[in-house]
Amino acid sequence: MMADSGPKEVAVIGNTELTSAELDNNIKNTMVEIEKGTSLLRKLEISVAEAEKRTGKNTVNMQEIYTVYLIETRPVDALTEGITPDSLWRRYSEFELLRNYLLVTYPFVVVAPLPEKRAEIVWHKLSADNMDPDFVERRRVGLENFLHRVASHPVLCNDNIFNIFLTEDKDWKEMVYETGFQAKADSRLKAVNAAFRVKNPDGRFTELKHYSDELQTVLSQLLRVRARVADRLYGVYKVHGNYGRVFSEWSAIEKEMGDGLQSAGHHMDAYAASVDDILEEEEHYADQLKEYLFYTDALRAVCRKHELTQFELEMVALDLACKKQQKEELVTGTVRTFSLKGMTSKLFGQETAEQREAKLQVLEQQLKEGEEAVKEKNTESDEFVKTAWVDIERFKDQKDRDLKEALISYAVMQISMCKKGIQVWTNAKECFNKM
Amino acid sequence: MSAGTPKSLASSGQKPIQEICHPLGAEETASVLTPSPDVGNTITSIGGKDLSLPNGTPVETSSPASSSSHLNRLQLDDDLDGETRDLFVTVEDPKKHVSTMETYITYMVATKTTRVEFDLPEYSVRRRYQDFDWLRTKLEDTQPTHLIPPLPEKFVMKGVVDRFSEEFVETRRKALDKFLKRVADHPVLSFNEHFNAFLSAKDLNKRLGLALLSKMGESVKYVTGGYKLRGRPVEFSAMGDYLDMFTQKLGTIDRIAQRIIKEQSEYQVELREYGPVYTTWALSEAELQGPLEGVASCMANCSSALDELTQDMSEDFLPVLREYVLYIESMKIVLKKRDNIQAEYEAKLEAAAFRKEEKASCTQVPTDVEKCHDRVECCNADLKSDWDRWQNNKRQDFRQLLTGMADHNIQYYEKCLAAWESVIPLLRDKQPQETETEED
Repeated sequence: MMADSGPKEVAVIGNTELTSAELDNNIKNTMVEIEKGTSLLRKLEISVAEAEKRTGKNTVNMQEIYTVYLIETRPVDALTEGITPDSLWRRYSEFELLRNYLLVTYPFVVVAPLPEKRAEIVWHKLSADNMDPDFVERRRVGLENFLHRVASHPVLCNDNIFNIFLTEDKDWKEMVYETGFQAKADSRLKAVNAAFRVKNPDGRFTELKHYSDELQTVLSQLLRVRARVADRLYGVYKVHGNYGRVFSEWSAIEKEMGDGLQSAGHHMDAYAASVDDILEEEEHYADQLKEYLFYTDALRAVCRKHELTQFELEMVALDLACKKQQKEELVTGTVRTFSLKGMTSKLFGQETAEQREAKLQVLEQQLKEGEEAVKEKNTESDEFVKTAWVDIERFKDQKDRDLKEALISYAVMQISMCKKGIQVWTNAKECFNKM
Repeated sequence: MSAGTPKSLASSGQKPIQEICHPLGAEETASVLTPSPDVGNTITSIGGKDLSLPNGTPVETSSPASSSSHLNRLQLDDDLDGETRDLFVTVEDPKKHVSTMETYITYMVATKTTRVEFDLPEYSVRRRYQDFDWLRTKLEDTQPTHLIPPLPEKFVMKGVVDRFSEEFVETRRKALDKFLKRVADHPVLSFNEHFNAFLSAKDLNKRLGLALLSKMGESVKYVTGGYKLRGRPVEFSAMGDYLDMFTQKLGTIDRIAQRIIKEQSEYQVELREYGPVYTTWALSEAELQGPLEGVASCMANCSSALDELTQDMSEDFLPVLREYVLYIESMKIVLKKRDNIQAEYEAKLEAAAFRKEEKASCTQVPTDVEKCHDRVECCNADLKSDWDRWQNNKRQDFRQLLTGMADHNIQYYEKCLAAWESVIPLLRDKQPQETETEED
């Protein structure tokens, strides 16, 4: 299972018999007075129902073909009443915009990843073409999963932009840009710089960074090998189809053996054909692994944010310490460290008492501001660490649960494949016995 | 169903086997038209019918077809009913011999029999491939109208295959065992003097030189012939056609089997890399460590199960296919011999008729032509009954071969199934449970 709860969730907060307008209103209201921890999914059924191709002009005024996805929402309690869901069409780039907004606005949250933009790590039969219907279908499922992840997140589900993404078509993009989130985004350079120079990051985050690197490496490798294994398995099964043909030809020249051979040949054909379903099911497993592969980016983003806030705190604290020292020097008149000022004053004479007093005043002010800044940054940092770690624990639990389920369903798939294999060969053996 | 004891076989009941001459052999008396003992066997055992007695009276050649189909059924029963068999041969216990000149393998050939042709009821001799080859050549020469089972291939590229590896020796042993069993089950070939010598003589080499001289010429003659065939009976044409098509199918099956083995090997290469990745992953996990390691060991089990499957197919499946291809080649040669015998007869008949026209009132058919005619009839009868026997054996052999292939695959999937099923409880619970299924 990829996401927490599906539309089968029954719990409802009051309200039945809603009109569309009231529903919209309700959503807005719940966002205002939401009870903490209640996920949106409990009230709203969300699905990405379809995908369609559209043509249009892009930003450089060239014709392009793109895919749009139909988002349907319907209040849970309306299920029994057969109310048609609200729907709107969105393209992949809008999902990306939504996610970027969430990343910037909630940097302490491990934000669920989107499905691949382009098909990578495929085995040969699956095409790497973005227009390929199988790829589009898997992306549709991935997008739905993304929405479920966000809707079931205790913090993210309350976000206004997210809710409007689900329900309102017009001007959503403008709304997002108006939040000014792009300005809030930390520059990559800043983040990298901080990562290098931070002195005392929280050990847990450092550990988490290592873990996400390891997980990324191992999952990439796993996916690559799995694709190669799938390729080979395909070959083994398909060659058996040749038995079907030759047994059929052979049965034509035999008398008593003919029937047995012919029917055995059919089983060989069935065996060869069965690999298509098997590998399609396995793709689902691969997609589950891929989601967590992409999740490692989100993990690293949270770690980076921590390093950045910690670094900024350290900088501010350093600045404060510097200023304190300057004040001390000014007050006591001693110059403990070399400074150009000190040198010039030695060379060109001391300052006057008024000058010193003025400087002291400025420094005092700066010290006050500095202390405020440190306090602020400290709080910010602590707050971040706290909220981030809550979400990381949530993520860890989710990951353990999901991956365990994925492994179980993989094992179940393998068991089913073995049973089918036994069945086919037992049938073939019966035919051979009748030869 | 139960035949009369094979001891009452045509030729054996009356004279020791060494004194019975094959109609096509060197010395023969014109008056004796001994039917193939297998036909005779059938006739005596069918009861009721009193077609002929196996003491030299000419057999009605009009119904060899029906008798051979009876024979067909009889052979089937013969194989199932061990009581009627009086000759059991096995090839076992390969051993390596190292001498200054050469290194070679010998096999123990063990015989148990109640036949009077053998002095002792049990024999145990050591033979090497050369000796089997000698036997086959002798059989071909002395029984030219019969289908002689094939031997495994003689020549082995020294660089490519290890002649002394366990797998190769075992594959060869099985093929040699099959060869002797097929000869032992053949109602004519099993009474051949050379077969007897092969099974019983302490030292085969002494007879080697003598045997080489005799009867070589005969078989050569029948292969090369020099006569043109007029009209081949439909059934023999059908045999030839069938053999051609069957060889083709066998070739295709061989290629498919080889391809599957190759694909499976490549699949296994990837599998062997797949499992360890899970182990690596397990190292960075806490809660998931147990499940991941479980999956990894599962993969390892599947990989070794696949290895066994591939090996079984290489060792059991392919050699039998190849052996049948050889069998068919030797059968085609026998068919050709038959054609030449018939052609010779037709030529002589034509020549005689021509001379008859010249010499007016010559009522007697020359004995020369008679002899040829007998040869043809004999050969046809032998071939037909051998053909039926071969068809039957082929059917059983392929039934066994293909069910064997199915069995190997079933076993492979069962091993994998057991491995995955034992992992499920490990994946489901926080604490690993005791599982009853052991992982292979």
